[in-house]
Amino acid sequence: MKQRKHKTAVSQPCILFAVILLFCAAAVIREPSFFGPATLINLLRAGIFTMCFALAEMIVIIGGGIDISFPAIGCVSMCVPMFLFEKGVLPDRVLLFFLTAMLCGCLFGALNGFLVAVLHILPLVATLAVSAIASGGLILLLGGREYTTLPETLRALYETNLFVYTDRTSGFTYPMTVLIFVPVVLCIAAAFLLKYTLAGQKLKAVGGDKEAALKAGINVLRVRFFTYVLSGAVTGITAMMYTTLMHSASAYALTGDEMLVIAACVIGGCRLSGGSGTVIGTVLGVILITLIQNHLNMLGVPTAWQAFVLGVMLLLGVLLTTIKERGFKRAGRIVS
Amino acid sequence: MKELQILKKRRPDGHILTLISLMAAVCLLMLILNPGAYYTAKNFRSMVFQFPEYGILAFGMMFAMISGGIDLSLVGIMNLSGVTAALILLKLVPEEAAASSGQVVFALFLAIIAAIAVGAFCGFLNGVIIGRFGLPAMLVTLCTLQIFNGLVNGITGGPALNGMCSAFQKISNGTIPGIGIPWVLLIFITVLGFSAYILKFTLPGHEIYYQGAGFKAAVYSGIATFKNTVICYMLSGIMGGISGVLITSHLNSAKASNGASYTLLTLLVVVLGGVHPDGGKGKLLGVTLSILLMQLISNAFTIMHVSQEAKNFANGCLLIAALLITEAVKKKREKQ
Repeated sequence: MKQRKHKTAVSQPCILFAVILLFCAAAVIREPSFFGPATLINLLRAGIFTMCFALAEMIVIIGGGIDISFPAIGCVSMCVPMFLFEKGVLPDRVLLFFLTAMLCGCLFGALNGFLVAVLHILPLVATLAVSAIASGGLILLLGGREYTTLPETLRALYETNLFVYTDRTSGFTYPMTVLIFVPVVLCIAAAFLLKYTLAGQKLKAVGGDKEAALKAGINVLRVRFFTYVLSGAVTGITAMMYTTLMHSASAYALTGDEMLVIAACVIGGCRLSGGSGTVIGTVLGVILITLIQNHLNMLGVPTAWQAFVLGVMLLLGVLLTTIKERGFKRAGRIVS
Repeated sequence: MKELQILKKRRPDGHILTLISLMAAVCLLMLILNPGAYYTAKNFRSMVFQFPEYGILAFGMMFAMISGGIDLSLVGIMNLSGVTAALILLKLVPEEAAASSGQVVFALFLAIIAAIAVGAFCGFLNGVIIGRFGLPAMLVTLCTLQIFNGLVNGITGGPALNGMCSAFQKISNGTIPGIGIPWVLLIFITVLGFSAYILKFTLPGHEIYYQGAGFKAAVYSGIATFKNTVICYMLSGIMGGISGVLITSHLNSAKASNGASYTLLTLLVVVLGGVHPDGGKGKLLGVTLSILLMQLISNAFTIMHVSQEAKNFANGCLLIAALLITEAVKKKREKQ
């Protein structure tokens, strides 16, 4: 009788961590200046938005759905407050801008949730349609122009830095924005939600097996609906952060981000069929994606191939999660 | 015997009637709104030149959807085949004036064959991954979309490939000399006939319906599901290849961002044409009518001077409406 040897299972975050280390090592060898606080600050700044979006996406994916409408929703929630401010409807208050953005996000999130949870439309198709409606409607109503002048209070927020690092040799300054706390807080909140609350358990149950969750007395409809609303709210906040840090709000600002963010979640170990996913994996996924996005040329790969590399990583991530899952099933262990 | 009688007594297909009446409604509406511009030879000519491009793509989507999957990578396949064709033409016929007609014909032939082969290979890749690992088609094709478009980006380096010989441009923009029928119409009818043959007269064509209706049942009844899945996605890829040739010839340029709105459009066409997103149902006639309907609507929009964004907006709304109707009809049937 042949018996397969089961190697000790290496968790996906471990593999990811190794890949990130390898990437960094290769980058340092080719370009010694990679190693330094400047790179770290640049990476953190570049990763803020991807991190927030990825957390929102992760919640949706764990709940058994997918959301490809958040770039469009984000564009709506950054343009609407700017438009209202210009028209004089919205007073110049930071909190109000963020609240309006969040409200926009929630509204479209609710539309997503309604289509997916109540009307049972395929999540991908529903969010694709909502994406077209959101970006089409935005350009129809407000025009395709870009807002580049920030209101006073948002500019003040932009200039609020945690610390500023000055490179001694080149004299460049690298400010670390205070908004870095937002993804940190969101990460902690998401981890807490998934680990220690009943809502998190329900979320995993619904994503893992809808029928079983229904029989266990979970209100599946409500859980699925609120994942999209939550995702919309986080998207709104992130979009406003984007406007603050990039000094820009336009109807095209975030297009194309959906693949990036889904890739981050998937290589972070979120099972795309729902039910499993961890914050730590997603964080590592975002780090890797941000590294690829910003420093792929350091490894000698031209920037034009970036999309291809991302695609391959995405596919490998999907395959890895599936194969691992099968291994667990064969070994008779329950997938957490 | 009783069952057979019931089958024979069935009313004419409601869905086809709905589509025809919708087409009549659009025609009637344009008769009221702007008959001077709509009912002209020029407008109908432009329609005939436009619909084969996404129509053939929609056939590809139809095959995937009937088998219970979805092919989101079609636009990527389209661009990759288009770039392949463009590269071959640019290599073999660098200067049109210097090339003999035999050389041009040979290059054209080779380019088209290569484009279709690339499409078939991409589809093969999709089919093997989906069939072998049992992954959801949506995820796999989402990954491969990124890979194919990334490849296009890497090959072209960003900017579009232009300047193919004028004989190539004639494929999409020219008519058959002597008769005056556009080449694209001929290609479309050929593809239509080919698809009809596959679905009506071949074994895989029948089996993908069973596979889509109930995968497990199909496996237990001894249907070669893996083989059928591969064939199905290869067919879809071939359709992508053909429309890649058409769009490259139409725009005389090949780049990664061509046909970005086609994913939404083909999904809409296929769902509107009565193909059920869960698989197992769908008729070629319905999809063909739906393609024509979309072209009627699209040209109506163009004549009313509606922007592309508004078209996208309307398409999104239409997609949701079509899905809702499909769902409602299904529920009604279940009740009966």
